[in-house]
Amino acid sequence: MFELFTNMVKEEWRVHSTMFGSLSFALFPVMIFGIAFMGSFLLPLMRTTLPAGNLTLIVHANYLMLGLMVGGFGLLGNEVMNRRFGQASLLAYSARSLPLSEKFIFLNFVIKDTVYYFFLWVLPFGFGYVLASPFTGVSLTGALLLLLTLTLSFLFGLCGVFFLSAVYARSRPVLWLVLLAVCLGTGGLAALTGMNPVLFFPPLLLNDAFTWVNFLISCVILALLFGVAISLFNPESVGSEKMYRDAFTPLMQRFSFLPNPPLAAKDTLDLYRSGSLVGQTIFSFLLPLAVIWFFLSLLDPFFPPHGLLFIVAVTTGVIASTMYTWVTMFDTFGPYACLPVAVSTLIASKLTTFAVLQVIPAIFIMAVSILSGEVVYLIPAVVLGISVSFYAVGIMAWLCGLSPNVLVYDVKVLFVYLILVGIVLAIFTAIAFANPYFALSSAILVIPTWLLVKKAKVRWDTVDPEGF
Amino acid sequence: MPGAIGNCSGIPVGSEDKILKGKNPYPGFHSTAMRMPAPHIRHVLNLYPGPGKTTPHGQVQGMDPLIETHDLSKQFGDTTAVDHVTLFVKKGALFGLLGPNGSGKTTMIRMLTGQTRPGSGTASVLGIDVVKDPVGVRERVGIIPEQETPPSFLTSMEYLKFVAAVRKIPDLETKAEWWFDFLDFADKKHVLCKDLSRGTRQKLMFTQAFIHEPELALIDEPLINFDPIVQDLVKEYLAEYVKKGKTIFLSTHILEVAEEICSEFAVLHKGTLLHTGPVAELKARGEHLPSFFLSLVRKDRHV
Repeated sequence: MFELFTNMVKEEWRVHSTMFGSLSFALFPVMIFGIAFMGSFLLPLMRTTLPAGNLTLIVHANYLMLGLMVGGFGLLGNEVMNRRFGQASLLAYSARSLPLSEKFIFLNFVIKDTVYYFFLWVLPFGFGYVLASPFTGVSLTGALLLLLTLTLSFLFGLCGVFFLSAVYARSRPVLWLVLLAVCLGTGGLAALTGMNPVLFFPPLLLNDAFTWVNFLISCVILALLFGVAISLFNPESVGSEKMYRDAFTPLMQRFSFLPNPPLAAKDTLDLYRSGSLVGQTIFSFLLPLAVIWFFLSLLDPFFPPHGLLFIVAVTTGVIASTMYTWVTMFDTFGPYACLPVAVSTLIASKLTTFAVLQVIPAIFIMAVSILSGEVVYLIPAVVLGISVSFYAVGIMAWLCGLSPNVLVYDVKVLFVYLILVGIVLAIFTAIAFANPYFALSSAILVIPTWLLVKKAKVRWDTVDPEGF
Repeated sequence: MPGAIGNCSGIPVGSEDKILKGKNPYPGFHSTAMRMPAPHIRHVLNLYPGPGKTTPHGQVQGMDPLIETHDLSKQFGDTTAVDHVTLFVKKGALFGLLGPNGSGKTTMIRMLTGQTRPGSGTASVLGIDVVKDPVGVRERVGIIPEQETPPSFLTSMEYLKFVAAVRKIPDLETKAEWWFDFLDFADKKHVLCKDLSRGTRQKLMFTQAFIHEPELALIDEPLINFDPIVQDLVKEYLAEYVKKGKTIFLSTHILEVAEEICSEFAVLHKGTLLHTGPVAELKARGEHLPSFFLSLVRKDRHV
């Protein structure tokens, strides 16, 4: 098992490092460390406006969300391995030539990805915070405890979605039953204690007061979620030949108003038949945002009036921009290489599909506005969220072309992305805080978005399209 | 006498009857293809275009080449995949690019079809510069890439409809049906590409490359996943295709196939062009392509 695991790690490293160089990839966790280390020096300043407990809450929420967003293995299992790596090209497909079961390989694949994300994101961030602790007035034990609870928070997100998505892949009615049980459980907890159920999140409890019993309980819950998810994984049945009637022609006719109807129809069928459309919407969009909304609602007293709605709108915009990875994550240039299709045409078509998908975040922001009793600010909130999403995707297309899932780990790419998105987020959040209706001004982002997409098309047409 | 033809070409008796049924969107193909003599007889009859007068690089004097490269090179890091290759392919040729594994054949096809930009040198296909207008090249040619990659979540029929929509091919349904029958995979037309066997995927990729009858097809190891019956069908199809004035640029390391069907050939080794010329010229010297190829490559290894 360990040999397979280490070789998978080597492969993962080489996949990324061959794309943009070993140094650039190796610098990625260094950058995360740097951000956390520098950011820690702002803590004394932040504490003047936000109590330490709430800061802890935000950081835990972020790590939970990170875990939630990367935990969709159960849902995508076969397809991720199939289409991201290409059949039989990597160890993920060695079950065909080695005496190893697909479930065993999948287990290694999941553990490898978990460890990989841990070393890329969680550890560098926690390490930065720990190293900065002597200068920020945080005790070393407190910093180490935070590192532990952040790791647990990340793993709760990852294992939670892994479990739910594995259930989803097996039986959708059972998933709804499980979600109903979770809602009833948290609702019951809130009713019984009169407290926000988020406060019972095990890593937060542990961070508040460490006990070995609580730590063990957290570990047991994680092991259960992970174990059940792995056991539910259903290896691809080779030789299954389900027949499908032609859905391409009617879809293409329906999309005749779009610039590239055949490409749009293909993207739609890809999303629908792979199960990604519903699965990604639930596990990579609605679930993380619902969790963030829950956590942020605890900080409502610290935001300006109506601030929560606009913070949620901006966050939704950033998360919604990752829908571009939904339409590009499985698709390489390979199938198009024998056709008269340019990379720029493909980028345009993916962005068109992305634009259609923006209906989902728009509805989500509308729902948040209505549920939080701020329907009067519905339009500015939707405009802000969608404008941010389009702007962020413009940057993503310019920086990553058709490979945002891979190139995000190029430290130069991530750095530029964070700067360009961060500045705009800061400006428009401040504007919305000043006056909610000023958020409508974010519509101006359509101009840089248009320019970025134009630059992306020119840039990626001059680069050899690689198969990632 | 279809039955006899089926026997001599290795096609089970009756299969060609099925092929000939219904509307044929490619007039003239079957009537001759099904009556073609067995491959070994074809060489004796010399059905292919004559060798003509060629320059050392294979350029036919007085005739504009369909494919033309000058000092074409490509490097991947420290590895030189293609090293200053100058090559000409004339209209109507069934041109075989031969070479061992890793000799640069696939890189050549990728450069000629605008999938990879050359490091240096120039290349034009059908008079179009492959760097300036790669999409223009792909619009006019048919391509079978090295690995069969039809999109996973479209069925075979949907994929052909997708190709037809992108290439603006009229009368797709009739043409697709003809190909499903011809390559014998009609039972897979509504199966998702990801569930198809490797051989069926290759049939689908072969179909998408020829369904619009391009004047030039660049095909990379087209026979490798086919069973012997389909291989024979495809070889006959290719031979017949060039007889209609079309051109095929075929990359392979199966020398027997190249000797059997190619009119011209070039040998690529470690990215360098070692030889180019007509197969008939070789035969006239009493040489066989496999032995000629092996001696050439072995000699180059010792240099």
